Amino acid sequence: MTDGVNGVAFGVFVFLFLLVTVLGFAAARWRRAPTLDSLDEWGLGGRRFGTFIAWFLIGGDLYTAYTFIAVPATLYAGSVVGFFAIPYGIIAYPMIFVFLPRLWSVSHRHGYVTPADFVQGRYDSRPLALAVALTGILATMPYIALQLVGMQVVLEVMGVTAPGDSWIVKDLPLFIAFGFLAAYTYSAGMRAPALIAFVKDTLIYVVIIVAVLYIPHQLGGWGHVFDAANDSFASFNKENADAIAAGQAQPRGMIPPETAQWAYASLALGSALALFMYPHSVTGVLSTRSRSVIRRNAALLPAYSVLLGLLALLGFVAIAAGVKVANPQQSVPQLFEEQFSPWFAGVAFAAIVIGALVPAAIMSIAAANLWTRNIYKAFINRGATPKQEAQQSKAVSLLVKVGALVFVLALSKDFAINLQLLGGVWILQTFPAIVVGLYTRWLHRTALLVGWAVGMGYGTWLAYGVASPTKAHFGGPLVLFPGTETKVYIALVAFLANIAVAVVLTVVLRALQVAEGVDQTRPQDYHADEGDPGVEARVGEVEVGTS
Amino acid sequence: MSSRGRWVLIGLLLAPAVILPLWVPLYDRATPELWGFPFFFWFQFALIVGAVVLTGSAFLLAQVADRDGRVRHGLPPVPDGTGTDRKAGDDR
Repeated sequence: MTDGVNGVAFGVFVFLFLLVTVLGFAAARWRRAPTLDSLDEWGLGGRRFGTFIAWFLIGGDLYTAYTFIAVPATLYAGSVVGFFAIPYGIIAYPMIFVFLPRLWSVSHRHGYVTPADFVQGRYDSRPLALAVALTGILATMPYIALQLVGMQVVLEVMGVTAPGDSWIVKDLPLFIAFGFLAAYTYSAGMRAPALIAFVKDTLIYVVIIVAVLYIPHQLGGWGHVFDAANDSFASFNKENADAIAAGQAQPRGMIPPETAQWAYASLALGSALALFMYPHSVTGVLSTRSRSVIRRNAALLPAYSVLLGLLALLGFVAIAAGVKVANPQQSVPQLFEEQFSPWFAGVAFAAIVIGALVPAAIMSIAAANLWTRNIYKAFINRGATPKQEAQQSKAVSLLVKVGALVFVLALSKDFAINLQLLGGVWILQTFPAIVVGLYTRWLHRTALLVGWAVGMGYGTWLAYGVASPTKAHFGGPLVLFPGTETKVYIALVAFLANIAVAVVLTVVLRALQVAEGVDQTRPQDYHADEGDPGVEARVGEVEVGTS
Repeated sequence: MSSRGRWVLIGLLLAPAVILPLWVPLYDRATPELWGFPFFFWFQFALIVGAVVLTGSAFLLAQVADRDGRVRHGLPPVPDGTGTDRKAGDDR
């Protein structure tokens, strides 16, 4: 890393980066609508992406650059629990298959752009909708920041940092990359990440397939890779036996110890439940053309999980190849630099950096839509026109990105990672209002709000109390399940408390006959599909308002 | 097959894709290996493939089940852009 920049690698990298920048700006003209001045157009790409585009878009959205950096890093560091990303990816899709077509239908019928729009329409509760919107924004911000962390890692390994000590100068390349991203997201909206996702995913697939075939072959086969990783962990455990016994270091291993099985399963389940509560995944799903597009993609998107699994194993490959880095996140980029010829290393670096742009764009659009629909329109300017809504969202998408940039550069990276950990805990607390609400209105709106508050508070407090060998607070995602000696994912514990409170309070509130508001939706709205009245009418039109 | 029957079948098809990955003790071991991959890893890759097959089958069933659901809620079986309410008294 300390050696200078390789000219060939850098040249290829810059070429590919400029290519997607041109695509990003050209996206405004792609599948052109009469105007981009509405959230349906700017914020959801016209709501008419088919199976093919949606596959690239949602895949590029969910499997972020940070994931591609962080998951192999955990395996490199001998903490195989990080491989939970694979079962997480498996169980998320059956859930998407079952729940999201209903959300899609009702959202199209009523012109909902965000999950909080749905909560407002269903429960007739502005505080509850606000809670859902704020949780979404809060959970998304650090996620965007982490995409920057992913980009930063790659730029560091490439040696691309401007000379100088101040953080503003040092991270100039990051500023430039993010500036372009902000500009074309502003002008083309959701169409920009959709178009860029083609390039990004093609590059990622090529790089990973080459990497998992070529590099292990050079090293003597996969069997040798696993043996080398195992030996390395065994000798680490032996050398650090005292520290491990004293709790100052974590033992390493290639498969999870029996004590970590609950942790592994609960991380997978909690993350899968939380996945489609994230505003950016809802935004991706709502931009599709029909219910079938979502279901078909639930069967096709796992291809990305195979990719992620193989990529994760590159953490072991890096060990076998003798990659030595202090920051485990640099292990895979460093592996690419050492093993690939310079031009292909350039392709690999570009793939990861461009891979950060797609989710960052969609996340900032999603956060901006939440702001516009559920804070600006709900509380500040209730008579906002579709055009004003689009203008708000565009401006806020810029603000969100600047915020993320300041976050990562001025504050510590650890802070972003802590918040991202909390983001997963927080966003799961909106599950009862959104998913249960898709089926029944039995849970009372006030009970949902209190349950949400309890889940948020309890989850945050639990996370604060987790210490690790290197940190006093927010040391990891696991706590002992109350009353047991078994470690599980914090988000699930808080979620159970949330549900319990919501159910008990609902019984009480129903007994007291507290008003439950007026439901805007009808049962048939949850079945509407492309071509039904109210669904097709929106395509290409400017009007947004609720019907 | 009734609409309810179809949804039960869809549930049965999707259930293994949720339950097996969460049943960690089932696959948390190193042997038997396959092409040098410890069991823990290759089994999870196999689970992905299995889930794809199951979800794909569920997709075909859901196409039919969706049509039933539409009719039950007063929508035409296939969207045709005509009126919404085909059935009176569709409140809850």
